[in-house]
Amino acid sequence: MIVFALLLLPPLLAAVLAALVRPYRPFVGWVTALLSLAPLGAAVALWARALQGDVLTAGPGEFLRADGLSVLLALCVSFVAGLAAWLGPGLAAEDGYHDPERRSYRVYSNLFAFTMLLAVTTHNVGVMWVAIEATTITSAMLVPLHVTKASVEASWKYILIGSVGIALAFVGTVLGYFDFVNLAGEQASALNWTVLVASAPSLHAEVLKLAFVFILIGYGTKAGLAPMHTWLPDAHSESPSPLSAMMSGVLLGVAIYAIVRWKTVVDAAVGPAFTDRLLIALSLVSLVISAFSLIAQRNYKRMLAYSSIEHTGLTCLGLALGPLGVFAAMLHMVNHAVAKSMMFLLAGRVQQRYQTTGIAQVAGLARVMPVTAGFFAAGMFAIVGLPPFGLFISEFALVRAGFAAGRGWLMGLVLLLLVVAFVALVRHLNRMLYGAPPDATPIGEREPWALVPLGLCLLILLALGLLLPSPVSQLLDQVVEITTQ
Amino acid sequence: MNSVFSQMAVLGSSLTLIFGLILLWRRSVHAYVTAFLWQSLVLAGVVATVAYFHRDPELYFVAALLLLLKGLVIPRLLRRMEQRYGAERELQPYVNTATSLLISGLLVLFAYALARPLVALSQLPTRAGIPLALGLIFVSLFVIASRKKALTQVIGFLMLENGIALLAVLGTYGIPLVVEIGVFLDLLLGFIVMQIFIYRIRETFESSDVDQLGRLRH
Repeated sequence: MIVFALLLLPPLLAAVLAALVRPYRPFVGWVTALLSLAPLGAAVALWARALQGDVLTAGPGEFLRADGLSVLLALCVSFVAGLAAWLGPGLAAEDGYHDPERRSYRVYSNLFAFTMLLAVTTHNVGVMWVAIEATTITSAMLVPLHVTKASVEASWKYILIGSVGIALAFVGTVLGYFDFVNLAGEQASALNWTVLVASAPSLHAEVLKLAFVFILIGYGTKAGLAPMHTWLPDAHSESPSPLSAMMSGVLLGVAIYAIVRWKTVVDAAVGPAFTDRLLIALSLVSLVISAFSLIAQRNYKRMLAYSSIEHTGLTCLGLALGPLGVFAAMLHMVNHAVAKSMMFLLAGRVQQRYQTTGIAQVAGLARVMPVTAGFFAAGMFAIVGLPPFGLFISEFALVRAGFAAGRGWLMGLVLLLLVVAFVALVRHLNRMLYGAPPDATPIGEREPWALVPLGLCLLILLALGLLLPSPVSQLLDQVVEITTQ
Repeated sequence: MNSVFSQMAVLGSSLTLIFGLILLWRRSVHAYVTAFLWQSLVLAGVVATVAYFHRDPELYFVAALLLLLKGLVIPRLLRRMEQRYGAERELQPYVNTATSLLISGLLVLFAYALARPLVALSQLPTRAGIPLALGLIFVSLFVIASRKKALTQVIGFLMLENGIALLAVLGTYGIPLVVEIGVFLDLLLGFIVMQIFIYRIRETFESSDVDQLGRLRH
């Protein structure tokens, strides 16, 4: 009970505090940043309990429930939300933001973190939907933090496409509930996930299949699966960087989490072949579109956003490749959460220095900001899947799972697309690192302390790539067990 | 008694779909808001009817909330936006009226085909309305995709929500109350944020044609 309170209440408290203190004061930033550590601690505590085999629940009718899958997501969300709180607007004196913007950032980013944490720990798939819809609302408010034509346009696309997509996921949820009610009558607990999974074998295949199509399109829109991805490059590139980090790093993961929950229910009823086929089709489209869009990018934040579509595609592909694939997919999601949030935060530093997001306008990064450039290059190698970083291991495991599942041709195609993305990204990186910096650009790192948490990200990626610690692999084993019951 | 109930449910669902179709052939935003208002009133009526025949006090509460939110608060906010921008008109949608109506007819047929397993499965007297609810969902999606004014798209979104609410009440006699309240809250907040964004679009682009929103490509 207390651990759930520590997970969910601090972000709410932080948002209330930031809303009440008007105008913005720097202490609000520090207090909210400190508060962001509490959910991380709670998530680690839940992790420890999960490793002992406990599934904690709380609230009336087991409203909150943290099994291995929830714990995995709670860890990712609280970690990235912590990064965004410590490196977001409002702590440093010269961060390029005005006080009203800092205040809104502190209010909405904390509400955003709260809605994501609620989405992954609630037991009720209806409430999960409500929370994920709320993530759209809270994060959309921050997209146009700097009001420009481009950011206004991005925010409109995001809220409209996001809300419509998520509404379709609700149609799917209602259809799933419809099936259950026809079987067992009205029950308050009918939307509890464990109840749904337990009764799935006696539910109707045709209705559940229809429900899953709606759910996949709906949550797939939020997860950035092509062809419903059109809002993503705009929203992720126009947002302030710490928000992009949260959106790319974990919001996509939260949407994938919702798909996994429903996939487990539908698989229990009709077997995995149906959901696997749909997931493979959409993932493949995402991989193709993102790989070729990466070549044409002229904006480094859009480049990172398209790379997120690619990784969403990989994760969803893994989900369709049996237990080994699920293990690889979930590991990949964790790796991506760490790597991409680090990259967006570094991109924020670059943008602040060069005052542009154009790849061609950023030259000589290695000379202007040597440490940032080093981290940026390392992160880029991580997201293209080079060893010794974690994404290499998860992509390797994923491809091996594909071959084991007898999908050799598919894996060949995927490898080819990964090479395309690799070449495109490394070429862009090259252009940013070298060359002569523009004349007016000051040389040297500013606010070097901000590099400490980013270096931590890099260490985590190395740890996941070189040793894959056993608490992590044990948690992932639990996730595989949960999703393939 | 059940046949009266069933006929009322079908009548209500048909009316909501027809109010949805108004978006396709009228041009003025004023008419759209009126259509949405009436659709919401009918929807609240359907929910109250189900509450009466099913003797479910929870559903009366949902009907009252619906009436308050979609029958009063949101239409009022929509009217205020409409007044602020004068008489907005949807002059050149991406798809013209005749084609729009044809496509919507096909979408409703498609909804009937898709809903066959649902109708076959359900024992409820309200089941005949399920395809109409799905039809309204598809038509609303089409409105959002084919219209240019941001305000029209928002009304399309609100009608989509009405379609889902109709589906839930006809198919399951309402989803659990916790979720229902959460959905209302999301809808209200989402609508308010969309409203803020429309004002922003007007300020930065001096028009609310989403046509203008073409800066971000690739």
